[in-house]
Amino acid sequence: MMSLTPKTILNVLCAGSLALSLSSCKKGNKAGDQYAGVDGDYVNGTPLPDRPGDGASFMSANVDKTQFQPVRFGYDSAEVSASESGTIESLASFLKSGSKTVILAGFTDERGTEEYNRSLGERRAQAVRNALIAQGAGAGSIQTVSFGEEMPASSGSGEDAWGQNRRVEIGVVK
Amino acid sequence: MLRFVFALAFLVTSGVVFAQEPATITVQKGAQLNAHISGISGGEGAKATGVLANDLTLSGAFALGGTDSANFIISGTFSGGQLQGRVVDRSGGTVLEKSYSGDLRSAVHQFADETVETVTGNAGIATTKLAFVSNASGKKEIYTSDYDGANVRQLTRDGGISVSPALSPNGRELLYTGYQSGYADIYKIDLGSGARTRIVKSPGTNSGASFSPNGSSFAATLSKDGNPELYLLGSGGGGRRLTNTRTSESSPSFSPEGSELVYSSDVSGQPQLYRISASGGTGTRLATSYGYCTEPNWSPDGKKIAFNVRNNGNFAVAVYSLGSGSTRVVSSGDDAEDPVWARDSRHLFFAQDRAVYLLDVQTGKQVKVITGLGKISEPTASR
Repeated sequence: MMSLTPKTILNVLCAGSLALSLSSCKKGNKAGDQYAGVDGDYVNGTPLPDRPGDGASFMSANVDKTQFQPVRFGYDSAEVSASESGTIESLASFLKSGSKTVILAGFTDERGTEEYNRSLGERRAQAVRNALIAQGAGAGSIQTVSFGEEMPASSGSGEDAWGQNRRVEIGVVK
Repeated sequence: MLRFVFALAFLVTSGVVFAQEPATITVQKGAQLNAHISGISGGEGAKATGVLANDLTLSGAFALGGTDSANFIISGTFSGGQLQGRVVDRSGGTVLEKSYSGDLRSAVHQFADETVETVTGNAGIATTKLAFVSNASGKKEIYTSDYDGANVRQLTRDGGISVSPALSPNGRELLYTGYQSGYADIYKIDLGSGARTRIVKSPGTNSGASFSPNGSSFAATLSKDGNPELYLLGSGGGGRRLTNTRTSESSPSFSPEGSELVYSSDVSGQPQLYRISASGGTGTRLATSYGYCTEPNWSPDGKKIAFNVRNNGNFAVAVYSLGSGSTRVVSSGDDAEDPVWARDSRHLFFAQDRAVYLLDVQTGKQVKVITGLGKISEPTASR
């Protein structure tokens, strides 16, 4: 069982990325630039596979959104917290043991501007994807999409609702 | 004083004897000029007069009043789809005399813009077109309108989520993010023909399109490489990546020459503004002194960046001066979002209180221009 430290994720990501895209892991952290890499390295993640050919999307009827619980996030954060490791491990095992495709849909709470929230939602979905890849799941079976602050899980305002809305939902293509 | 010098130079070269009354035209930069609308004659003259008065007031350049204090007298005749407009100074010299064709509002807006430009030397904003998101139909759809809220038209009927509109500088094309495929794709609409093309459908999320100043290319956020990054894209949708980070980038906006972009990135832990060369490289952070900085928009004069901040728990519109490096909050009231410059670099459109507001950054005067359409968000303006 591999632990989910940032460095482990980074190493696994780099190994995985090299197989898929030689450009994804490069040294280039010049002094004074905006990248905050680890030991001079940084990664962007693993390129997404082409969309499913059968038109399956998070919105289509052939996707089961109830099989796995959503992964929740802190305010303005895309960090997969340790408390979500159970969901990550069971989803990674599910992916490794079969040939299913999952669509990870990122969402934010209502606070903040809409386009920033679309980007934040996508980063959350990609963070879950990276955590799954770090657990050995195949990058080619994991799609992402962000809905930003659209389609909240709870329509209320306040921390209870916001906490439910900051999430990545997991859609399993049947 | 610069504006006045321009106006005086114009008047002198026009052969108008204006120097007789120096006291009445000694205006400070940004001060309003007194003007009197003596009326537009013709069948729909009263309506045309009302549109013109609103245009000149919203321009911020004029204080409308009686003839006694007026530096300029404005009049016209509207008939047969033709507006004959006339501006004279207080000594009766002609400042502007020209005819404008089109429907009533369009002709009056053209006259208003040319009046502002002739007298102040600055661009007018009355012919500006807007697009925005409204949920009035029950779903988020894209709408278009004139800058003053007239001629509202529902553009999309996707029945899903249609957001993040961007008008081309000439107002003839529109890019937006639509979820019809179940993913976020970028669509382009030719507003003349109505033809629509899905031009970016990469894996992941494609959103936040923004046109280059000449309208030939655009920037957007794509996540296909495994992280939300900025890309520079051609009109056909192909392109190249601009940024390379471990975090998310969003909301690119071009400098007026198109050589640079400003965008928001949370690479430092919180969303901050960065500028980057359109040919790539690394982003340079703008020190705004705010912890949450999103949705930047570069002014047409190149001198300012309008953007969103979180300020004491509220979201507000701020302006960063590239010259001085100073930032100030310019909106009043709660939760003002998504500022976009008008072409005069003096006014901002933004969303607040389910409406679109027009703010005169110079005076702080804030006017609601589009309302009554459910919740309105993400305005964009032609240049």
